[in-house]
Amino acid sequence: MTYDKPLPDTSDGSAPFWEGCAQHELRIQECSACGHRRWPIGPVCTACLSPEHTWVTLPGTGEVWSWIVYHQSFNKAWEPDLPYNVALIKVDGAHTMISNLVDVEPDAVHVGQRVEVVFEDATDEISIPKFRPVS
Amino acid sequence: MGKRPGTTALGLGLDALSLAIADAGIDKSEIDGILTHPGTTSREGANHYLRLAEAAGIDPRYAGSKSMGGATAGALVQEAIMAIDAGLATTVACVFGDAALTGGQRFNSPNGDPGLSWGIWGMFGPQANSALGARRHMSLYGTTSEQLGAISVTFREHAQLSPDAVMYGKPISLEDHQSSRWVVEPFHLLDCCLISDGGVAIIVSSAERARDLAKPPVHVAGMGQGYTARKSEAEDWWYLPHQKAVLDEAWAMSGLGPSDIDVAELYDNFTFSVLLWLEHGGFVERGESGAFVAEGNLKLGSTLPTNTHGGSLSDAYMQGWTHIVEGVRQIRGEAGPRQVPGAETCLTTGRGMALNTANALVLTK
Ligand SMILES: [Zn+2]
Repeated sequence: MTYDKPLPDTSDGSAPFWEGCAQHELRIQECSACGHRRWPIGPVCTACLSPEHTWVTLPGTGEVWSWIVYHQSFNKAWEPDLPYNVALIKVDGAHTMISNLVDVEPDAVHVGQRVEVVFEDATDEISIPKFRPVS
Repeated sequence: MGKRPGTTALGLGLDALSLAIADAGIDKSEIDGILTHPGTTSREGANHYLRLAEAAGIDPRYAGSKSMGGATAGALVQEAIMAIDAGLATTVACVFGDAALTGGQRFNSPNGDPGLSWGIWGMFGPQANSALGARRHMSLYGTTSEQLGAISVTFREHAQLSPDAVMYGKPISLEDHQSSRWVVEPFHLLDCCLISDGGVAIIVSSAERARDLAKPPVHVAGMGQGYTARKSEAEDWWYLPHQKAVLDEAWAMSGLGPSDIDVAELYDNFTFSVLLWLEHGGFVERGESGAFVAEGNLKLGSTLPTNTHGGSLSDAYMQGWTHIVEGVRQIRGEAGPRQVPGAETCLTTGRGMALNTANALVLTK
């Protein structure tokens, strides 16, 4: 089975994040100098500019900050999925990230809904973090 | 503006420059500053100002190009003012041209947004950022799709008074808005701006120099610009906190406030964008903009006539440039059947990229 949707470019400094995803862990950079957690992935701390950091594993829970539903095709590989959702998730212990909601009908989604991370194994190397409602 | 097959971004910008020179009643040799906004179909990239100046036969003292999406027009006018104020130029032409409709437009192409990696989750195109904001606004404040539709219908009504508007002769109803297809929910097709070919040029000079030109001068009484560069790390990114800072700055510099504004030309790539300008500008409190627009307050003859030319939703999508042009026309009293009687103050705004860039101008007589 081939996966033809866009995949991450892991040569841009994001490899540790995607290595975490492959192990089904959601990781984030934490500054060793001031403790600030930054997202998206970047070479220096967005609070103090220190490059020193560690990767910490988040609990993987969060809440729906907002969500939208695509009805128009902007990308061939995503076309068969129409209509599909894109969500902005406020991740516990971190910031917001773009993802998809799975195992839920669009009508059942609401802002503030509690969710947890699940990983879609796209290729042997890449697993993509997505979120599903916590029952 | 509109559909101009066979034209190029460069040619459209030069046509506009020529019209602006004639409108101002100056000689081309007086232009000593060139600031440009490369269109999505411009070929010159960061060297756009050089090619445009070369093609116009101008060797400027001051020049440059900026790409801030829908905030570029305002940013260039502000830069022109600063260059003139600093003595680096006397007469600056700000120029935009794009054959976005017929020249291979890129607005709806895959990976057309700056958040390339978001494509991993299927997030493409310009609608997504604003749609996420609209959904959260709806959830927090009870804003409805019908309220967004009121914006679309109002601007379309205004376009019926402007023969140059792309949607002239094509009125719509709220039912048309509600039954138009979903693009990215909660946006219907009629929540989204047009895609257009066209060019716009704005000539900026000192108030003293402008006094005896062909047309009455329009003054910039206040201005502001601001940025939320962070997206995911700023949890209120969807609400665009920089826009409030922009408008606070413009109000402070001009000594005017929302109650002093006769007419507003607010950047409307999507209907929802207008709601945030109203809240950030202090025209209404946070969360109250939906009810405000549904009451008809943006219509000509009402509280705050807005996007009197039809805006990007119904006039043409010129990345916010025509909002400044319409503001100038309103202050000059040149807007014909859509003229706001006695208009002496106008707020114009622009915003671009992934909601990151914004600015405002307060225009006065
Ligand atoms: Zn730090």
